[in-house]
Amino acid sequence: MALPLAGWSAQIDLPEWTEATEAASYGLGGGLWPAGLLPGGTPGSETADGPSGIVDGSGEAPKTNPDGSPLTFYGPLADGETPGVSLGQGGSDQPAQVPIEPLPSLEGELQNLYFGYPPVDYLIDPQRLLTEQKSNDIKRFLEFHSDESPFHIYVMVVGETQEIPEDVDLKALHKEWFSDQRAVLMVYFREHPERTEFVYNESVRSSLPKSVFDRISQNCLREGAATDLAPDQVEKMAIELSIQLYWLSKLMTAEGKEAMAIAEATPAHEMPASADAPELLREYAPGIFLEESSRRALSILVTVAVILATLVLVAFVGWIVIWLRGMDRVTGAPMIFPSFKVVRRLGGEFSGGGFVSMSFDINDGSGLSS
Amino acid sequence: MRPVDHEADSCYSCGYSELEAASKFGSNQVILSRVHDAAHCLRKQEKDILNAALDQLEVKFPQMLFCAYLGTLPEGLSMSELGFWLLNHGQVKGAEYARPNENGILVIVDMNTKQIGISMGYFAESIITEEEAYRALLRARPNLLNAEYGEAIENIFRRLARVLTKNGRKLRKLSHEELQAQSKALNENKLDLPEHFAPLLVKKRGFRLGAARRA
Repeated sequence: MALPLAGWSAQIDLPEWTEATEAASYGLGGGLWPAGLLPGGTPGSETADGPSGIVDGSGEAPKTNPDGSPLTFYGPLADGETPGVSLGQGGSDQPAQVPIEPLPSLEGELQNLYFGYPPVDYLIDPQRLLTEQKSNDIKRFLEFHSDESPFHIYVMVVGETQEIPEDVDLKALHKEWFSDQRAVLMVYFREHPERTEFVYNESVRSSLPKSVFDRISQNCLREGAATDLAPDQVEKMAIELSIQLYWLSKLMTAEGKEAMAIAEATPAHEMPASADAPELLREYAPGIFLEESSRRALSILVTVAVILATLVLVAFVGWIVIWLRGMDRVTGAPMIFPSFKVVRRLGGEFSGGGFVSMSFDINDGSGLSS
Repeated sequence: MRPVDHEADSCYSCGYSELEAASKFGSNQVILSRVHDAAHCLRKQEKDILNAALDQLEVKFPQMLFCAYLGTLPEGLSMSELGFWLLNHGQVKGAEYARPNENGILVIVDMNTKQIGISMGYFAESIITEEEAYRALLRARPNLLNAEYGEAIENIFRRLARVLTKNGRKLRKLSHEELQAQSKALNENKLDLPEHFAPLLVKKRGFRLGAARRA
C-alpha cells in the first residue's frame, strides 16, 4: 500500500522558489517614498541602488541638523515604529535611524513656492514638512477659524535649517498679499517654535500697544513649547493664536483707535460699561449675580407687587372720589343766587305749599308725598 | 297736597288756601327758633352740633334760611299744612330781613306719626326740585331709624346745600335775560290739569280761581 503511493508521489512536479537575487524589489508605500528611507528597512534599503541622492544607510555618515541633533522623519512609518523617530545617529539601543537629505535653502523655485504668490490655502507647506493627517486637521481648523473670525491665520511652515531669504520682507509681503484684509501670517520653523514670527497688518499693529502683540506671541510660544513634535506644535500654536486673535478683536473694538475716537466724542456719563465686565464679575464673584431662576422669581414678584400696588392705588383713588362725591361740603366762597321774580299761589306770601315728606316708621313703607 | 296752578289762589281739588290755613292755625305771626324742638327730642349736644352746621350753611348761603321744627302733631294736623302755615306766618329769630321766608327750607319732624317733611319757600323750591328734596330725606333715613334726629336733620341740610351749590352754579351761568326768560317760562307753564270740576263750590266759598281768570 505504501509502495504504490510512494511511486505516485515521486511523479508530482512541485513548484520551486525563485532565487532571492532574481526577485523584483518593491519599495514600501507604492514607490512614493524613497527606498531606504523607512526605518526597519525594505529590501531596497539595504541596497545602494535607490534613487539618486537617497541616503545610503550602509556606510555614509548620517545627516544631522546643523546643531548636531538628528533629523526627524514624519512620513509613513513601518509597523511598530513610533512617529517622529530620530534619524541618522541611532545607537545600538535606539530604533533604526535613516538619515535623510538636508532641507534645501529657500531660494529659486522653492522661494517662489513660499513667497512668489499669495497663498491659496491657510497652511503654506510646500515642502510637506508636516504629516498629511495633521496638515489636514490644521487646514480644517484654520478654515473654521477664518469663517468665524475677522482675523485670518496663515501658517507658513519652514524647515528648521532654512532661513527666510534676506530679500524677502515679510511685512511688505503681508501688505501685498492681504492689504486691507485682517490676517496674521505665522512663520513657523519646524521644531523651533521660539523662532516663530507673527506678521500683522500695519493698521492692527499701530492701533494697539506692542505689549499686546508680545503677549500673544508669548502665549503661542508657550503652547508650542508644550510639545516636541512639529505637527503638534503647529496645531497648538494655531489654536492658541486663534484664541488670542478673538480677544485681540475684542480689544480692538474696546480700545482701538476707532473706539477711542468714539469715546472721546461721547460724554463720560453716556459711555457704556465694558461688555466683558459682567462676565468677568460672574466668573470671579458669582455670588453677586442672581441666578436665572431667582431673577425670574424676582420678576414675578415685582410684577405681582406692581399689580397689587396699582389695584390699591385705583381703590384708593376710587375711595377718594366716592368720599368727595358723598361728602356734603359747605366750604368755599358764599353762594349768591341771582334774584328772579316768583309768582305766588294759594295766597301764601312766602310759600306756596311745596312739601315733600317721608315716613321713617319702621312699619310704614310710605314714601314721597307732596 | 296736589300740585296746583302757579297762579291759583286755592287748590283745585279741595279749595285749600292760605286763608283756610290761617283760619285753622291763626293769622298771627309766630316766632320760631332756627331749630325749634317742640318735641324735646334733641339733646343739647345734638342741638349744638346741628346749630354749628346751620351756621356753616348760612355762611355758605347768605340768602337762604335753614330751620327745623320738631314736634308731636295732634291727629288731624297735616305736616304739609303746618309747613305751609309756618313759612307764611313764622318768623325765625335772627333772620328777619336778611333771609326772607320765601328763601326758607323748613324741615318738619312729626314724632307722633314718625314722619319727616320739607317745606320750601317760593325761591327755595325754584332751586330745589321735589325729587332732590326727597333724596335728601332718604339720605337721612338711617339716622332717623336710629333716633339720631339731630344728625338726620344735619345730613338733610348738607345734602340740600350740595344741591343748592350745583343748581346755583347753573343759575349763575345764565345771563340776566336768560334768567328772566326762564322765570317767565316757568311761571307761564301751566300744569296740565283736568278741567276743574268744582268751580261753583269754589265760587261759593268766595275764592277766585286762576282757571276761571284765564277763561
